[in-house]
Amino acid sequence: MRILVVDDDPMAGELTGAVLEDIGHEVILAQDGLDAASKLRVDPTIEMVVSDMNMPIMTGIDLFRQLFATGNTLPFILLTGDEPEGLLIQEPRLDACLIKDFSLDETLPTVIANALRARGKA
Amino acid sequence: MTDTKPLSPREKIAKLRAAFVEQLPARIRHAHVLFERLKIDPEDHAAAVDLHRFLHNLKGTGSSFGFQELGAAVTLGEGLVAKLLDIPARPVPENWEQRLSEYLGRIEKAASEACSLFCGLPGCDNPEFTLPNFSIQSVADCSGRLVYICDDEVLTLENLASQLACFGYETQSFTDTTALLEAVDRRRPDALILDIHFPEGQIAGVEALAEVRRRAGNCDVPAIFLSARSDFAARMAAVQAGGAAYFHKPANVSELVAALDELTHQQQPVPYRILVVDDEPGLASYHSIILQEAGMATYQVTDPSSVLQVLQEFLPDMVLMDMYMPECNGLDLARLIRQVPEHVGLPIIYLSSEPDRKKQFGAMRVGAEGFMTKPVVPCELVATVTILAERMRILRSLMARDSLTGLLNHTTTTHLLQNALATAERAGGSLCLAMMDLDRFKLVNDTHGHLVGDQVLLALSRVLRQRLRSSDIIGRYGGEEFAAILQDITLDRATHLIDELRKDFARVVFHSASGEFSCTFSAGVAGYPAYTSGELLREAADRALYEAKRNGRNCVVPNTTQPGEPSKT
Repeated sequence: MRILVVDDDPMAGELTGAVLEDIGHEVILAQDGLDAASKLRVDPTIEMVVSDMNMPIMTGIDLFRQLFATGNTLPFILLTGDEPEGLLIQEPRLDACLIKDFSLDETLPTVIANALRARGKA
Repeated sequence: MTDTKPLSPREKIAKLRAAFVEQLPARIRHAHVLFERLKIDPEDHAAAVDLHRFLHNLKGTGSSFGFQELGAAVTLGEGLVAKLLDIPARPVPENWEQRLSEYLGRIEKAASEACSLFCGLPGCDNPEFTLPNFSIQSVADCSGRLVYICDDEVLTLENLASQLACFGYETQSFTDTTALLEAVDRRRPDALILDIHFPEGQIAGVEALAEVRRRAGNCDVPAIFLSARSDFAARMAAVQAGGAAYFHKPANVSELVAALDELTHQQQPVPYRILVVDDEPGLASYHSIILQEAGMATYQVTDPSSVLQVLQEFLPDMVLMDMYMPECNGLDLARLIRQVPEHVGLPIIYLSSEPDRKKQFGAMRVGAEGFMTKPVVPCELVATVTILAERMRILRSLMARDSLTGLLNHTTTTHLLQNALATAERAGGSLCLAMMDLDRFKLVNDTHGHLVGDQVLLALSRVLRQRLRSSDIIGRYGGEEFAAILQDITLDRATHLIDELRKDFARVVFHSASGEFSCTFSAGVAGYPAYTSGELLREAADRALYEAKRNGRNCVVPNTTQPGEPSKT
């Protein structure tokens, strides 16, 4: 599956990307919400978005809402340094919201699998 | 051979983690810069927002990489700065300066602990990792580095000396500390490996190091301790004496060599190269001087039309660009630069007196990495430029290098083979390509596990790096396949050279839970001008490699057939 990873910190983005590549996904990196939006516009083969929450100018939720408003309903997983519950309440349409920690390599694959199952894709 | 993927995600994660730790100090300096601004004016909202986001990101990324203590320390700072965000609606928090300073101190402490913890681990040494220009193989001439080994057990001594020799170290062995000290007086080694316990004293090794240090004056001799003891007291004594590493006997030679490589590598930090584009010579000079004082190399351009030529010659890591210039604006110039394929990834920071966020935003869309408002705060300029240039180098090198071994990856090796061929063609020189493949490597992985398998890959990469010339290009071509591009050398000579490496590598002893073992590789060599393109060379070397495998492995076979001739196989 081709997944767009959005993070303003290249190190963090690469890390998330590496975790996804490890379970066989293909990863495209975007450095902020705008970059993500423009990559999604030109690349229709992207099947999922994994985005950081806290980014300058446009947060992960801003990105999600903008995509949603323009008819893009790809599965969207939000990563955050804070407790994820509050963000899910703030934006319940997210497929999942996940805290960034060292177990990301275990939690992220599970969350993706669950999200896809919920969407009836796997 | 089947695995042509340049690096496994696991390896990449490990490497990213190391890179993160490496750049922690620069990140923390950036936080201090923002803190200084807040001290001057707690109502500096921009600084508070930046510091808050910075701490937030550090918390997220730090936790992702598994540094809990760092994450906890950052959380405290983040909470406090969050309160500063609400000034002036809310009062300035009590003692905020003192508390923030304390939290930053804790962050620093956690960061340095993370560094020391991490840098002590084997396999994460990789001095080449941050080198910017991957077309230059950065192997310093490390042949013949002298190591003194002092241990009262003769067997350990002999074993270590012969193993280190396989990696290109020159060794001298001593069984007592007096002989060692005399030798140090005669010639100073590049590193010491010392036992702790000797008949002359429980911690005679530690005392000997102190004496070496004293005699060497201010010159530091890196030392590694080797001991049958693994208790706290022995380790503490070793640390206090200034031991850079500590190995419990029997030492894993691969790890020991990793530590030695790191300690003896004369790493010259390559200054960041920054191109400053500003139509006002005065300002360009001012910014250049700030950056130069921070140890960077700069080049000033006041005439935008010369930018492309300068980019070719100066090869900067980053561009600092004025937003408004008479001939053209910064946006157009950035677009122009980015339309040249080589410069697509070059970071650009705009400098401008433009306070309008929307316009700044427009600039970012062209692909600029940052935007700074004039007049710049010098320490802020340095911090921003350092972080971006550093990141650029790390990312570039991630793209060019294999993360486990630090050797060039498949793509880069192939690319450099083309370049080397073009050079050989122009100069009428010669060139050889050697393809090397570990013998029965799957069996090593299956028997001893992947971690031990990685040790074998690392060991071969170390042998290649230590023993080949710095002008040679060494790459990890696939899973257990390595390539070396040897320039200005005949097929016979290259075959002989690789065969020497083969013999040495076969003598390296690996340890695993299931016992000791050694490993071999087979190689095929083909040369230009017999084969004229990268593809043909690769195929020819592969055919020879195949023959080497068919001949029973652990041998080097040159491809002596002419192109078009049916191969011998």
